[in-house]
Amino acid sequence: MRNNSVKNLDAAIYHNVEDLFSVIGASEENIEKLTSAPYSYWRETFKQLIKKPLAILSLIVIILIVLFTIFGPMIKSYSITGTPDIFDANQSWSKDHWFGTGGNKMKYYKGLDLWTVVWVGARLSLILGTVVALIDTFLGIFIGSLWGYFRRLDPIMIEIRNFVNNVPSLLLYFLLMAFLQPNFWTIVFLLTMFGWIGLAGFIRNQIIIIRNRDYNIASITLGSSPRAMIMHNLLPYLISVIVTVVSTAIPAAVSSEVGLAFFGLSFTPVKGDVTLGQVLTDATRDEWMTYPYLLIAPMVVLVPLTVSFFYIGLVLADATDPKNHR
Amino acid sequence: MGTYLIGYTAIALVVVFVIFVNLVSRRIIFKNNLKMQQIFAHPLLLYSLRRIGSALISILLAITATFFLIHLKSRGVMICKQAIGTWDKLGESIRELHCANLKARLGITDNWFLDLFRYYYKILPFPKTVCESYDVGTIVGAETIYTVTNQNCRNFILDLGTVFFLGGGHNGKFVLDLISEKMVISFKIGIIAIFVELLLGYPMGILMAKYKDGVFDKIGKTYIITIDAIPGVAYYYIWMAIFAGLGLPTMYDSSNVVTYIAPALTMGFTGMAGIALWVRRFMLEEFNSDYVKFARAKGLSENRIMYTHILRNAIVPLVRSIPAAILGALLGTFYIEKIYGIDGIGGLLVVSESQNDYFVLQGIIVVAALISIVSYLAGDIVTAMVDPRVSFTKE
Repeated sequence: MRNNSVKNLDAAIYHNVEDLFSVIGASEENIEKLTSAPYSYWRETFKQLIKKPLAILSLIVIILIVLFTIFGPMIKSYSITGTPDIFDANQSWSKDHWFGTGGNKMKYYKGLDLWTVVWVGARLSLILGTVVALIDTFLGIFIGSLWGYFRRLDPIMIEIRNFVNNVPSLLLYFLLMAFLQPNFWTIVFLLTMFGWIGLAGFIRNQIIIIRNRDYNIASITLGSSPRAMIMHNLLPYLISVIVTVVSTAIPAAVSSEVGLAFFGLSFTPVKGDVTLGQVLTDATRDEWMTYPYLLIAPMVVLVPLTVSFFYIGLVLADATDPKNHR
Repeated sequence: MGTYLIGYTAIALVVVFVIFVNLVSRRIIFKNNLKMQQIFAHPLLLYSLRRIGSALISILLAITATFFLIHLKSRGVMICKQAIGTWDKLGESIRELHCANLKARLGITDNWFLDLFRYYYKILPFPKTVCESYDVGTIVGAETIYTVTNQNCRNFILDLGTVFFLGGGHNGKFVLDLISEKMVISFKIGIIAIFVELLLGYPMGILMAKYKDGVFDKIGKTYIITIDAIPGVAYYYIWMAIFAGLGLPTMYDSSNVVTYIAPALTMGFTGMAGIALWVRRFMLEEFNSDYVKFARAKGLSENRIMYTHILRNAIVPLVRSIPAAILGALLGTFYIEKIYGIDGIGGLLVVSESQNDYFVLQGIIVVAALISIVSYLAGDIVTAMVDPRVSFTKE
């Protein structure tokens, strides 16, 4: 009985197949051809990115600012370390001083050409921001993935996070700076000390969400080591998140430095260690309401710089998500 | 006497309550009383108690760690030299005498752990009588005459010590008094700011979600990105310039209410961006859920769906932060207080740090940590009140 029905079914299928299709045979040429365009993750990301005109604008702004931090101070041959002429102080925008000169009540940049000061400051701010962002991201991903994968770390890590949330971070910065000399690496240390914890918590949550997906359980069943799991299964899935975090971490680090400088915790700007935070803070010491160009000078660089990076980060969040490709 | 009565009663009540809840939830007493089980063995109550317990451990850790950091710093800078104005003119032996006197009054010994446990004792919440005297030694010839400027005894439940080095007429006050005095100043500005950010942030988020990708949404998004991206300090100064341009006074004066407007609006406009962002996000998440589709199928008006269905659900994760914001207003902000010259808690922390007044510093940390516990708890309660799925009494 059963055999009969199977035979009938077979016959029906073969009959239909012969009706519907014609055999064209194998062709060596066609084997090599691809019917769909080759897929490259980063190329697709780039395509998504250049679709947004504002993202292009932001990229151009960033490139321009980077170029100006290198060549800007060279355009004008003013020194920022020498003692300036007193009569040069408090000049508004002019042909000689495009951003004006530092006011009389400024502590560090009195009488200096603000164009030079701002670009030299932007250079250090950018380098600092990038270094801090890279370290933050590395620590955040490393600790966050361990934290998410090994749940036994939870009590310790949550205690650390509570500590950071409970104690005003500015107070800790004050206390630590009492022991540390302000130089590049101590500032990097201060900014990275708590910067990673937010990212680590975020990565941890993401990993907990995807950890028990079927493909990961299959991997664990097949005996993958934790290292292989994190490196090959979990982190590639989070690449979109990670790229976004890196690009928003740079403006965040630049902002943090401004915050530190506002309370005098940043560099002591005597040897040309200028940052945008220093310039901004110094401008607020003077009567910037009467001489607004003092405050406008650092803002003109600071605002486009941070906004561009931040916007690129947001666009990258969409562009690097494979779900949005094609 | 009143403090003692209230203090011990409160402690007894708390202890009895915790034991009672534990006994009920383990079904040792009131095993068959359904009503009692529903109220006192409620998961939310147990969860809150456990959360307070772990938060107390966090606070203890925070206090201990900052205690060592603060003492490591302030002992390095010769507290005696700072406290005694005529230090440079004194001879070696008198210096040592002075120093010993000062340290005795401050309650400092050479054993840090002893000091730490003394501090724990001070902040343990049971009633105690504290007498503090702050006195200044003046030199008359070879003799040192101590003039007592302030001597008062008070009953405390939470003793945070006395102000010693702060200056500005505050020396000799109790730290708790000083902090509560400054808190009022911070809170006045902060509460206006919270009203501004709630009253503007929620409508902004709702409108952005309602007209997604419209003009208002785009303007709103630009505003939020700008606030998120540029440094707070830069941003506050931009607002300050705008307010100055509008003719508002920008320097804080506690007697003039008009001067509160500029700092409060600066604070409010900043917080508004964050609120609008989350309101928009949560509302858009609810847009495609089944109950919204069903409401639409029933033929309800879009406005009704927006305000009674979506908003009600989207608001649940958001209200948790409201008590934290209100209580956080007590602690003020660092940047805005410095920019507008407000002498609130933020300013107090900065000044006490530079003056090495570690009782004040430590006191602020204790108060900040306590506030964080209370706001966790209040957040849970408010969430439970707003969320129709959680209830205190019914199953």
